[in-house]
Amino acid sequence: MSQGSRRIFGLGGGGFTIEPENPVLDRFILSLAGRPIPRICFLPTASGDPDDHIARFHAAFDGELCEPSHLSLFRLGRRPVAVAEHLLSQDIIYVGGGSMVNLLAIWAAHELDRILVECWRQGIVLAGLSAGSMCWFEVGVTTSAGKPAPARGLGLLPGSNCVHYDGEPARRPIYLEGVRTGRIPGGYGVDDGVGLLFEGTRLDRVVTSRAGAHAYRVHGRDGVVTETQLQPERLSAAPGHEAPADVVELRRVHELRRRG
Amino acid sequence: MTAARLPQIVAFGGGGFSREKGNRLLDDYVLEQTAVSRPRVCFLPSASGDADHYIVRFYRTFDAARCEPTHVSLFRRDDGASGDLRTHLLSQDLIYVGGGNVISLLGVWRAHGLDEILRECWQAGVVLCGLSAGSLCWFAQGVTAFVGEPRVVDGLGFLPWSNAVHYDGERGRREQYHGFLRAGGLRPGYACDDGAALHFVGHDLERAVSSRRGARAYRVEIAADEVTETPLRTRHLARMAAMAA
Repeated sequence: MSQGSRRIFGLGGGGFTIEPENPVLDRFILSLAGRPIPRICFLPTASGDPDDHIARFHAAFDGELCEPSHLSLFRLGRRPVAVAEHLLSQDIIYVGGGSMVNLLAIWAAHELDRILVECWRQGIVLAGLSAGSMCWFEVGVTTSAGKPAPARGLGLLPGSNCVHYDGEPARRPIYLEGVRTGRIPGGYGVDDGVGLLFEGTRLDRVVTSRAGAHAYRVHGRDGVVTETQLQPERLSAAPGHEAPADVVELRRVHELRRRG
Repeated sequence: MTAARLPQIVAFGGGGFSREKGNRLLDDYVLEQTAVSRPRVCFLPSASGDADHYIVRFYRTFDAARCEPTHVSLFRRDDGASGDLRTHLLSQDLIYVGGGNVISLLGVWRAHGLDEILRECWQAGVVLCGLSAGSLCWFAQGVTAFVGEPRVVDGLGFLPWSNAVHYDGERGRREQYHGFLRAGGLRPGYACDDGAALHFVGHDLERAVSSRRGARAYRVEIAADEVTETPLRTRHLARMAAMAA
């Protein structure tokens, strides 16, 4: 665990769910833990824990240098897990997309909101895409009820977040109008393939897996909304340092095992 | 639809298409309670996280030959029955709630305002039924052991009793239920085996029925720290069907 730092990485969309052929964002998430073999736990709550979503997480992460696990709140009956202990022992918690309203309702019902705040305080990296990004802010723009509408998040990060800014264009006008009228606090609109990294509550980096994708700082004042483009850093195929030889070998073993 | 329909709930301890492959007795029973020849039936699989395989099994059992089936997915509101949730649910003859995690179920329902909508449906005489989590949810309190340690959850409270399900099917359920009653804070209620169901009209138990021989339901009460469990006369549906024929 990285002592003293509280980090959140929110994707407008991307990672294994959206770009399975492009692992750079998922590898960037793994690099945030600051340890050679981070423990990463996937929470697929927002999509109702479907098996195929969980399988895709493992397909993406089982071959990476990490200890992947997932926590299915809908399947706890069959697979009992000490939820708080498991989450608090991670280096990274990766929250999948889906219904933001359901995600927060289920977390509250199972007291996961409290546990996740504790994880953040202890320096566990909180990451996610779509609903799994907006959940960390005060407000998100969700399609949980069909049409885009604002919904409350956990509020670890001040302000708002609107995901799939380019990919699902119906969200943007609702967001801009909400910020303009003050119904939604100012925040960030984020394209698919772009992620925001927060150190504490301060935006530290904006990164992307694709050319031409952006994030926007959205700000409302006196009934006027302004959208300021943020230019992301393009992540290279092998982010961070080159893997040492033994790590490369271990990856090869993982790969062989995965292919059976 | 008849003009004045009474509020009805059929709460299964377990059973129906979810858990009794090839045994249609409980599912046929709830269809009959609608008193409509081709009832409109809506499945709510929220407690399972709207699992696809569960939705498919619902449509296989409640096929279009015998009813008008739909489902509502709260994880994918653009999927399944479209349009206004309240209008759709109020237009049903039967709402069938699947099993799964009752804590998640209630959390999601409240977030989408389904607690209020389902109360309206119940009062309007839409028959409500379900198994397991889909049984516990209708009561004031339910005992669940789905997530780790057994605990008491507050349901929607349409029925002012407590409820325990899988009473014979899952180890320790009876002891847990009695334990919570003795500890105080749990109101008296009804326990139900897999394959047994409680049929309430208003708040009152109309009858207990079963899809298998030996499946039972119980009235469970506490007086002076003493738990009393009274087996209810449970009618086996196959025999009822044979007698009616």
